[in-house]
Amino acid sequence: MIVVNTETIPGHTITMVKGMVQGNTVRAKHAGRDIAAGFKNLVGGELKGYTELLTDSRREALERMLAQAEQLGADAVVNVRFSTSAVTAGAAELYAYGTAVNVQADVAPPEIPTT
Amino acid sequence: MHELIGLFIQLGIVGGMVLLGLLAGRYTERKHLCSLERREADLQGMIVSNLKCFPGGAQSTPVPALIVGEASIASDYLKTLLAALRNLVGGEVRSFESLQMRARREATLRVMEQAHAQGFNAIGNLRLETADIAGNITTNQKRKMVVVSVIASATAYAL
Repeated sequence: MIVVNTETIPGHTITMVKGMVQGNTVRAKHAGRDIAAGFKNLVGGELKGYTELLTDSRREALERMLAQAEQLGADAVVNVRFSTSAVTAGAAELYAYGTAVNVQADVAPPEIPTT
Repeated sequence: MHELIGLFIQLGIVGGMVLLGLLAGRYTERKHLCSLERREADLQGMIVSNLKCFPGGAQSTPVPALIVGEASIASDYLKTLLAALRNLVGGEVRSFESLQMRARREATLRVMEQAHAQGFNAIGNLRLETADIAGNITTNQKRKMVVVSVIASATAYAL
Protein backbone atom coordinates (compact mmCIF):
# COMPACT_ATOMS: atom_id res chain seq x y z
CA MET A 1 0.00 0.00 0.00
CA ILE A 2 1.42 3.36 -1.07
CA VAL A 3 0.54 6.14 1.35
CA VAL A 4 1.41 9.76 0.62
CA ASN A 5 0.11 13.15 1.65
CA THR A 6 0.31 14.60 -1.84
CA GLU A 7 -2.58 14.60 -4.27
CA THR A 8 -0.77 12.43 -6.76
CA ILE A 9 1.94 9.84 -6.54
CA PRO A 10 4.86 10.84 -8.74
CA GLY A 11 5.55 8.14 -11.28
CA HIS A 12 2.08 6.64 -10.91
CA THR A 13 -1.27 7.35 -12.48
CA ILE A 14 -4.50 7.14 -10.53
CA THR A 15 -6.78 4.78 -12.40
CA MET A 16 -9.75 4.77 -10.06
CA VAL A 17 -10.90 6.76 -7.04
CA LYS A 18 -12.40 4.47 -4.42
CA GLY A 19 -13.55 7.16 -2.02
CA MET A 20 -12.52 8.78 1.21
CA VAL A 21 -11.18 6.61 3.98
CA GLN A 22 -10.75 7.66 7.57
CA GLY A 23 -9.60 6.47 10.93
CA ASN A 24 -9.82 8.06 14.32
CA THR A 25 -8.90 7.34 17.89
CA VAL A 26 -9.74 9.12 21.12
CA ARG A 27 -7.12 8.60 23.77
CA ALA A 28 -6.89 9.63 27.37
CA LYS A 29 -3.62 10.18 29.15
CA HIS A 30 -3.33 8.52 32.50
CA ALA A 31 -2.96 10.39 35.75
CA GLY A 32 0.61 9.27 36.32
CA ARG A 33 1.69 10.96 33.13
CA ASP A 34 -0.13 14.09 34.22
CA ILE A 35 1.86 14.27 37.42
CA ALA A 36 5.13 13.78 35.57
CA ALA A 37 4.03 16.44 33.09
CA GLY A 38 3.28 18.81 35.96
CA PHE A 39 6.86 18.51 37.17
CA LYS A 40 8.22 18.89 33.67
CA ASN A 41 6.24 22.11 33.40
CA LEU A 42 8.53 23.67 36.00
CA VAL A 43 11.80 22.89 34.30
CA GLY A 44 10.77 22.68 30.65
CA GLY A 45 11.84 20.13 28.08
CA GLU A 46 10.26 17.37 26.10
CA LEU A 47 7.35 15.40 27.50
CA LYS A 48 8.28 11.94 26.27
CA GLY A 49 5.04 10.44 27.57
CA TYR A 50 2.93 12.86 25.56
CA THR A 51 4.99 12.39 22.43
CA GLU A 52 4.57 8.64 22.80
CA LEU A 53 0.83 9.08 23.25
CA LEU A 54 0.69 11.08 20.02
CA THR A 55 2.74 8.51 18.15
CA ASP A 56 0.56 5.64 19.34
CA SER A 57 -2.66 7.47 18.50
CA ARG A 58 -1.38 8.43 15.08
CA ARG A 59 -0.39 4.81 14.34
CA GLU A 60 -3.80 3.58 15.45
CA ALA A 61 -5.68 6.17 13.38
CA LEU A 62 -3.54 5.42 10.32
CA GLU A 63 -4.04 1.68 10.75
CA ARG A 64 -7.81 2.10 10.91
CA MET A 65 -7.70 4.26 7.82
CA LEU A 66 -5.58 1.69 5.97
CA ALA A 67 -7.93 -1.12 7.00
CA GLN A 68 -10.78 0.78 5.38
CA ALA A 69 -8.73 1.33 2.25
CA GLU A 70 -7.91 -2.37 2.07
CA GLN A 71 -11.58 -3.23 2.42
CA LEU A 72 -12.32 -1.02 -0.56
CA GLY A 73 -9.70 -2.86 -2.56
CA ALA A 74 -7.49 0.18 -2.96
CA ASP A 75 -3.76 -0.09 -3.44
CA ALA A 76 -2.84 3.45 -2.42
CA VAL A 77 -4.07 6.27 -0.22
CA VAL A 78 -3.33 9.82 -1.36
CA ASN A 79 -3.76 13.25 0.21
CA VAL A 80 -3.57 11.93 3.77
CA ARG A 81 -4.23 14.59 6.42
CA PHE A 82 -4.11 14.57 10.19
CA SER A 83 -6.35 16.54 12.45
CA THR A 84 -6.68 16.73 16.20
CA SER A 85 -9.47 17.87 18.42
CA ALA A 86 -9.98 18.15 22.15
CA VAL A 87 -12.95 16.10 23.25
CA THR A 88 -12.99 16.51 27.00
CA ALA A 89 -10.54 17.15 29.81
CA GLY A 90 -7.66 14.74 29.43
CA ALA A 91 -8.79 13.14 26.21
CA ALA A 92 -7.95 14.11 22.66
CA GLU A 93 -8.88 12.80 19.28
CA LEU A 94 -6.51 12.12 16.44
CA TYR A 95 -8.14 11.80 13.07
CA ALA A 96 -6.49 10.66 9.85
CA TYR A 97 -8.20 10.84 6.50
CA GLY A 98 -7.29 10.42 2.88
CA THR A 99 -8.54 9.25 -0.49
CA ALA A 100 -8.26 5.59 -1.39
CA VAL A 101 -7.29 5.02 -5.01
CA ASN A 102 -6.05 2.44 -7.43
CA VAL A 103 -2.82 3.32 -9.16
CA GLN A 104 -0.74 2.10 -12.03
CA ALA A 105 2.99 2.65 -12.31
CA ASP A 106 3.90 4.79 -15.30
CA VAL A 107 6.00 3.25 -18.00
CA ALA A 108 9.34 5.01 -17.96
CA PRO A 109 9.70 7.34 -20.95
CA PRO A 110 12.24 6.11 -23.48
CA GLU A 111 15.59 7.64 -22.87
CA ILE A 112 16.79 10.09 -25.48
CA PRO A 113 20.24 9.05 -26.54
CA THR A 114 22.76 11.81 -26.17
CA THR A 115 25.16 12.20 -29.02
CA MET B 1 3.07 36.90 62.91
CA HIS B 2 2.01 33.47 61.73
CA GLU B 3 0.48 35.00 58.63
CA LEU B 4 3.73 36.78 57.90
CA ILE B 5 5.71 33.54 58.16
CA GLY B 6 3.19 31.83 55.92
CA LEU B 7 3.55 34.62 53.38
CA PHE B 8 7.31 34.31 53.43
CA ILE B 9 7.12 30.58 52.92
CA GLN B 10 4.78 31.05 50.00
CA LEU B 11 7.02 33.69 48.47
CA GLY B 12 9.96 31.36 49.01
CA ILE B 13 8.22 28.54 47.14
CA VAL B 14 7.33 30.80 44.22
CA GLY B 15 10.85 32.28 44.22
CA GLY B 16 12.34 28.79 44.26
CA MET B 17 10.21 27.71 41.33
CA VAL B 18 11.15 30.83 39.37
CA LEU B 19 14.81 30.10 40.07
CA LEU B 20 14.31 26.48 39.05
CA GLY B 21 12.61 27.64 35.87
CA LEU B 22 15.38 30.13 35.21
CA LEU B 23 18.23 27.67 35.71
CA ALA B 24 16.76 24.37 34.57
CA GLY B 25 14.55 25.95 31.90
CA ARG B 26 17.41 27.87 30.32
CA TYR B 27 19.58 24.78 30.48
CA THR B 28 17.02 22.48 28.82
CA GLU B 29 16.25 25.08 26.18
CA ARG B 30 19.88 25.66 25.34
CA LYS B 31 20.54 21.94 25.24
CA HIS B 32 17.57 21.40 22.98
CA LEU B 33 18.58 24.22 20.63
CA CYS B 34 22.12 22.83 20.45
CA SER B 35 20.81 19.36 19.62
CA LEU B 36 18.49 20.83 16.97
CA GLU B 37 21.36 22.75 15.34
CA ARG B 38 23.59 19.71 15.35
CA ARG B 39 21.00 17.35 13.89
CA GLU B 40 19.92 19.90 11.31
CA ALA B 41 23.54 20.30 10.26
CA ASP B 42 23.84 16.51 9.95
CA LEU B 43 20.93 16.44 7.51
CA GLN B 44 21.97 19.53 5.60
CA GLY B 45 21.80 17.78 2.23
CA MET B 46 18.12 16.97 2.65
CA ILE B 47 15.71 19.26 0.85
CA VAL B 48 12.63 20.11 2.89
CA SER B 49 9.70 21.75 1.15
CA ASN B 50 5.95 22.01 1.26
CA LEU B 51 5.60 21.63 -2.50
CA LYS B 52 2.68 19.48 -3.56
CA CYS B 53 4.40 18.29 -6.70
CA PHE B 54 8.06 17.72 -6.07
CA PRO B 55 10.07 18.28 -9.28
CA GLY B 56 11.67 15.03 -10.32
CA GLY B 57 9.65 13.07 -7.77
CA ALA B 58 8.51 10.62 -10.45
CA GLN B 59 12.00 9.16 -10.62
CA SER B 60 11.96 8.37 -6.92
CA THR B 61 12.93 4.83 -5.99
CA PRO B 62 11.68 3.62 -3.55
CA VAL B 63 8.15 4.89 -4.18
CA PRO B 64 7.38 8.13 -2.27
CA ALA B 65 6.05 7.43 1.22
CA LEU B 66 4.23 9.17 4.03
CA ILE B 67 6.42 10.04 7.01
CA VAL B 68 5.04 11.37 10.29
CA GLY B 69 6.84 12.78 13.31
CA GLU B 70 5.61 14.11 16.63
CA ALA B 71 7.02 16.21 19.43
CA SER B 72 5.59 17.74 22.56
CA ILE B 73 7.60 20.30 24.44
CA ALA B 74 6.73 21.65 27.86
CA SER B 75 7.17 25.19 29.05
CA ASP B 76 9.12 25.96 32.23
CA TYR B 77 7.88 27.93 35.22
CA LEU B 78 9.67 31.13 34.26
CA LYS B 79 8.34 31.16 30.72
CA THR B 80 4.80 30.59 31.97
CA LEU B 81 5.19 33.38 34.54
CA LEU B 82 6.61 35.77 31.94
CA ALA B 83 3.66 35.03 29.67
CA ALA B 84 1.22 35.68 32.52
CA LEU B 85 2.90 39.01 33.21
CA ARG B 86 2.85 39.86 29.52
CA ASN B 87 -0.86 39.17 29.58
CA LEU B 88 -1.36 42.16 31.86
CA VAL B 89 0.06 44.69 29.43
CA GLY B 90 -0.35 42.81 26.16
CA GLY B 91 2.15 42.43 23.36
CA GLU B 92 4.51 39.85 22.03
CA VAL B 93 5.11 36.76 24.17
CA ARG B 94 8.70 35.95 23.23
CA SER B 95 9.08 33.09 25.68
CA PHE B 96 6.33 31.09 24.01
CA GLU B 97 7.44 31.93 20.50
CA SER B 98 10.67 30.04 21.01
CA LEU B 99 8.72 27.16 22.58
CA GLN B 100 6.47 26.82 19.53
CA MET B 101 9.40 26.96 17.15
CA ARG B 102 11.32 24.35 19.13
CA ALA B 103 8.40 21.94 18.94
CA ARG B 104 8.00 22.52 15.19
CA ARG B 105 11.71 22.11 14.50
CA GLU B 106 11.83 18.94 16.58
CA ALA B 107 8.84 17.38 14.78
CA THR B 108 10.26 18.35 11.37
CA LEU B 109 13.63 16.92 12.30
CA ARG B 110 12.04 13.65 13.33
CA VAL B 111 10.39 13.44 9.92
CA MET B 112 13.74 14.18 8.27
CA GLU B 113 15.56 11.59 10.36
CA GLN B 114 12.97 8.91 9.65
CA ALA B 115 13.04 9.71 5.94
CA HIS B 116 16.83 9.55 5.95
CA ALA B 117 16.75 6.19 7.75
CA GLN B 118 14.41 4.83 5.09
CA GLY B 119 16.70 5.91 2.28
CA PHE B 120 14.95 9.09 1.16
CA ASN B 121 16.73 12.38 0.61
CA ALA B 122 14.02 14.95 -0.07
CA ILE B 123 10.79 15.96 1.60
CA GLY B 124 7.72 17.46 -0.02
CA ASN B 125 4.35 18.65 1.18
CA LEU B 126 5.41 19.10 4.80
CA ARG B 127 2.44 19.90 7.02
CA LEU B 128 2.59 20.99 10.61
CA GLU B 129 -0.37 20.62 12.89
CA THR B 130 -0.65 21.42 16.58
CA ALA B 131 -2.56 19.32 19.08
CA ASP B 132 -3.97 20.16 22.49
CA ILE B 133 -2.97 17.13 24.55
CA ALA B 134 -2.75 19.00 27.81
CA GLY B 135 -6.47 19.70 27.39
CA ASN B 136 -6.23 23.45 27.89
CA ILE B 137 -9.24 24.21 25.74
CA THR B 138 -11.64 21.87 27.46
CA THR B 139 -10.54 22.07 31.08
CA ASN B 140 -11.47 24.94 33.31
CA GLN B 141 -8.93 24.15 35.97
CA LYS B 142 -6.89 27.07 37.21
CA ARG B 143 -3.43 25.68 36.69
CA LYS B 144 -3.11 24.99 33.02
CA MET B 145 -0.20 23.09 31.63
CA VAL B 146 1.68 24.74 28.83
CA VAL B 147 2.61 22.04 26.37
CA VAL B 148 3.15 22.48 22.66
CA SER B 149 2.45 19.32 20.68
CA VAL B 150 3.15 19.23 16.98
CA ILE B 151 2.48 16.57 14.37
CA ALA B 152 4.47 16.91 11.18
CA SER B 153 3.55 14.88 8.13
CA ALA B 154 5.27 14.81 4.78
CA THR B 155 5.90 12.80 1.66
CA ALA B 156 9.48 11.63 1.28
CA TYR B 157 11.27 11.18 -2.04
CA ALA B 158 14.54 9.67 -3.09
CA LEU B 159 15.94 11.73 -5.93
